[in-house]
Amino acid sequence: MVRLEHIGKRWDDGAELLHDISLALAPGDFCFLTGASGAGKTTLLKMIFREEVPSEGQILVNGRNVSSIPARKIPYLRRTIGVVFQDFRLIPRKTVFENVTYLPRILGLDQRGQRKAAFHALRRVGLAHRLSAFPPQLSGGEQQRVAIARALINEPEILIADEPTGNLDPDLSREILRLFLEVNLRGTTVILATHDRDTIERAGGRVVTLDHGRLHSDLELVGSEPPRLEPPREEAEGGDGEAGDAEAPA
Amino acid sequence: MSLLQALRYFFREALVNLFRGWKVSLLAVLTITVSLCLGGTFLLASRNLSQAVERWRAETRVVIYLRPDTSGDDLQRLAREAAEPPWVAAVTPVSPADARRRFQQSFPSLGGLVEGLGEEPLPASLEIRLRGGARPAAFEAWLAGWRKRPGVSLVDDDREWLRQLETLIAVLRGVGFALGAVLLGAAIFTIASVIRLTAYLHQEEISILRLVGATEFFIRGPFYAEGLLQGLLGSGVALVGLYAAFRAVHARVASSLFASMLASDFLSLRQLAFLVLLGSLAGLLGAIASLRRESL
Repeated sequence: MVRLEHIGKRWDDGAELLHDISLALAPGDFCFLTGASGAGKTTLLKMIFREEVPSEGQILVNGRNVSSIPARKIPYLRRTIGVVFQDFRLIPRKTVFENVTYLPRILGLDQRGQRKAAFHALRRVGLAHRLSAFPPQLSGGEQQRVAIARALINEPEILIADEPTGNLDPDLSREILRLFLEVNLRGTTVILATHDRDTIERAGGRVVTLDHGRLHSDLELVGSEPPRLEPPREEAEGGDGEAGDAEAPA
Repeated sequence: MSLLQALRYFFREALVNLFRGWKVSLLAVLTITVSLCLGGTFLLASRNLSQAVERWRAETRVVIYLRPDTSGDDLQRLAREAAEPPWVAAVTPVSPADARRRFQQSFPSLGGLVEGLGEEPLPASLEIRLRGGARPAAFEAWLAGWRKRPGVSLVDDDREWLRQLETLIAVLRGVGFALGAVLLGAAIFTIASVIRLTAYLHQEEISILRLVGATEFFIRGPFYAEGLLQGLLGSGVALVGLYAAFRAVHARVASSLFASMLASDFLSLRQLAFLVLLGSLAGLLGAIASLRRESL
């Protein structure tokens, strides 16, 4: 699914940011990417969705070298990858519905199709009742869940999250982590970058550690307090357990 | 996404952007309006002047002024002679007495000037109305012949001042287009700045669009549509303003030669379409220029 082969990255001034990173992720894998600030986590993630290009090596996503695809094909790669950031990146003047339906609009879905897609994505993160709210009306945890819904709306094969809990308190961080694990349980490959060792040690799983741009370790960790996950529900079952003004898709 | 869906999305987003940033958009629209108003005014003036020249050309006259000692019989004889060539439509012999009466009718307040002088102060003349169409080379020779005749004091050819008027129209048109082009350049620059500002304000949204897989066409489309709409709006306002000014001047056509020369007819449909197209193109060009080097 995702294969990094001897990846290196140098800035124009010659400074080396990443050195000889090799890594392979199979479909349905969940992987923590950790390391101190400046270790190169964000740059590595950006290379997967082609916001950065490696100076050396190649990155294969579904067997395709993403660093050599032509610029006009990049959007099509990105439609298969969901990305979540620490700062949510929601547009405050747009409603939750508008914020999550960027991709359906790009794909040309009509209003009904957009509402349906938004409803399903938001239901997965427990926010189907906040379609018409604006981001400033939501808590930090809710805003991050909207950002996750936006990333999930097209059922991506890969979900990349860069410090998604960095701005959240420990309780909300656990809640968001559980969401990512649930998404992973449905078959999506998840790569989650964090420097929060506590979260990783509690959850456990595959942990790739970078240190000063080099691969320090790649190991399986047994979590001290792994979150209890519910098996994925079928969409047809309906209901997200939230009360309020949940709207059925028009 | 089909092209039609994309266009609908572009124009919807562009309208929202125009509405949200109406103050800066207004600036762009007004610069287009001013430049097209100016260009349109010159176009309107030159169109009406050209039409006036055409009308006058159809009524072109040659007036041959004769010496004061020309007798009535000579006047009639010369009139018959002048009517012979095929380019002459009609000849009106004007005796000195007729000329004085006309003067007194045309300028009643100055009538006393030509009264009581003993002899007629104005010379006899032949007013020759010419047929329309091109003048053969023989026409010029014919005129030259009249100029050389001993009984003729002056040959006044209307075509002289029509030629001068045509030169004036050409200059007017050139100046109008030059000024319009300069102002249109300024409008393109303003629109480019406004679009760049709008793009800057939407930077975050653009980064999200790019992140979720929007193509460059999809990202830039709304900005191009916004430029186009600004151009369309600007040209629309310019045409309304131009028409209002035309109506105001046109109301005086009957009483003012100046008004009749400049505002007898409004612009043709083709000219109106040209101005709208020019405004829209200026808007689109502004948008393209503003985003050409932007990585957005």
